[in-house]
Amino acid sequence: MKKILLSAALVAIALSFGGCAKHEMKESAAPAGDTTKQAYENAIAAAKSEQKKAAAVGGEWRDTGKMIKSAEEAAAAGDYGMAKGLADKAAAQGRLGQEQAASQVNAGNPSYLY
Amino acid sequence: MRKTASFATTAVSLAALFAGASMMPTAAGAADADTIKYGKEVAFDRKKGNCLSCHMIADGESPGDLGPPLIAMKARFPDREKLRAQIWDPMIANPGTRMPPFGKYQALSGKEIDAIVDYLYTL
Amino acid sequence: MKMTQLALTAICAISATVVMADKKATDTSPAEDLKVYRDYFNKRFPGIPLNEFGNGVYAIDKVSRDSWEAIEEFPPYEPMIEAGEAMWNKPFANGKSFASCFGNSPAQRKNYPHWDAKRKMVVTMELAINDCLEANGEKPLGYNKGKIADLAAYMAYQSRGQKIDVQIPNDPDALAAYNDGKAFYFARRGQLNFSCASCHMESAGMHVRTDTLSPALGHASGWPVYRSKWGELGTLHRRFGGCNEQVRAKKFKPQGKEYRNLEYFLAHMSNGIEYNGPSSRK
Repeated sequence: MKKILLSAALVAIALSFGGCAKHEMKESAAPAGDTTKQAYENAIAAAKSEQKKAAAVGGEWRDTGKMIKSAEEAAAAGDYGMAKGLADKAAAQGRLGQEQAASQVNAGNPSYLY
Repeated sequence: MRKTASFATTAVSLAALFAGASMMPTAAGAADADTIKYGKEVAFDRKKGNCLSCHMIADGESPGDLGPPLIAMKARFPDREKLRAQIWDPMIANPGTRMPPFGKYQALSGKEIDAIVDYLYTL
Repeated sequence: MKMTQLALTAICAISATVVMADKKATDTSPAEDLKVYRDYFNKRFPGIPLNEFGNGVYAIDKVSRDSWEAIEEFPPYEPMIEAGEAMWNKPFANGKSFASCFGNSPAQRKNYPHWDAKRKMVVTMELAINDCLEANGEKPLGYNKGKIADLAAYMAYQSRGQKIDVQIPNDPDALAAYNDGKAFYFARRGQLNFSCASCHMESAGMHVRTDTLSPALGHASGWPVYRSKWGELGTLHRRFGGCNEQVRAKKFKPQGKEYRNLEYFLAHMSNGIEYNGPSSRK
């Protein structure tokens, strides 16, 4: 029983630290939960800019454009909170796509072929 | 095997209890069976984890074989963080892996990955 | 002490030569690549003759081969070949026809893709079809499916038995286009982070759910393809787009530079395999 409790405690500690990795995600500058129109407009401009940069290096992801469109629709319906959230997601995809493309510029025959 | 599984469940449920206050978005002490069920759903969902496309998993139908069967997960990953990291970004442990970095590339949320880990620990 | 050190150094040197690193696209020549890919697939699927790879997954999957052979006995693409033949024979508004662009012969498969030194670009058969239309004052066709696939099916059918023979001429621009296609093939892409090679080289013969992953070798031979999933004919670039979307990358424009260079690389890999399009796939 003692052993179980100990491992349970360890797992619990691990669990509570488990969230750490989540913070690797870069968030856009505006604070989360900001539901103003201005915050959305900044976010959507950032999203479009990141999308464009990703496309320029051939690293755009499939759903980024759809997210931007959904964000614009949500904004048109007055839901700036939802709209900003979607725009932030799209911007993050744009950044990750650029990062990915940069990591692959030297792609060629992998070692497993030899 | 049964013993291991029930041990894992106990550990996970206790862990969930301990951790509930700090990070679980659900009410503290929410049924761990629900988390495990949710984790399984996310793991099997073709638009989420879609783990079956590459891994054999317990009662999952038509599994692929690009990755190893997901069995004895607790024994293979005694360190929960290592298992979580393997789903978050497997390229850290193995740069050549084909497995997608589900967390890093935001295909799954941290909460979804945590639930998958809960589910995997029952295997 | 010194001896130990020496031995250690030797061991390190040996292991360094044994463990191969990933290569850059520019590190290997087209001729070297050809040998590397051949050897790799020969080892992975021993005993399968080179030309068999032109049958895609059915070269390595006995189970699905039977039903595929049954389908090929009454091919679903037959009406499209006929429609393509009618296009070939129908004069343009100016009185000329496709024959005027293609040396009077529809059996053109062996000439594409090729490096066009004057235009400094890879020219594919579909691109040449639209070039022909535009040069004759006709409207160009969509590149993914429909009429262009019909005509390509007729031309491919007339070319059956010709061998893939893609040349990378001694021209730095041509080599750059080939290397560009190679880099594309091996670059991880999309939210799921797969390269083309992740599935069709590293995992060829393995299964995603119940689908067997087809080998890259031979991938360029059977186009256009009647895919049961599409319920119609589609071009190679349409399939490229589908693959890219499956790994959650944004697809590129059909016949854009990315996919033309990719086709150049992919077709070169299959040199020596017979063109056998149109063909049917799951």
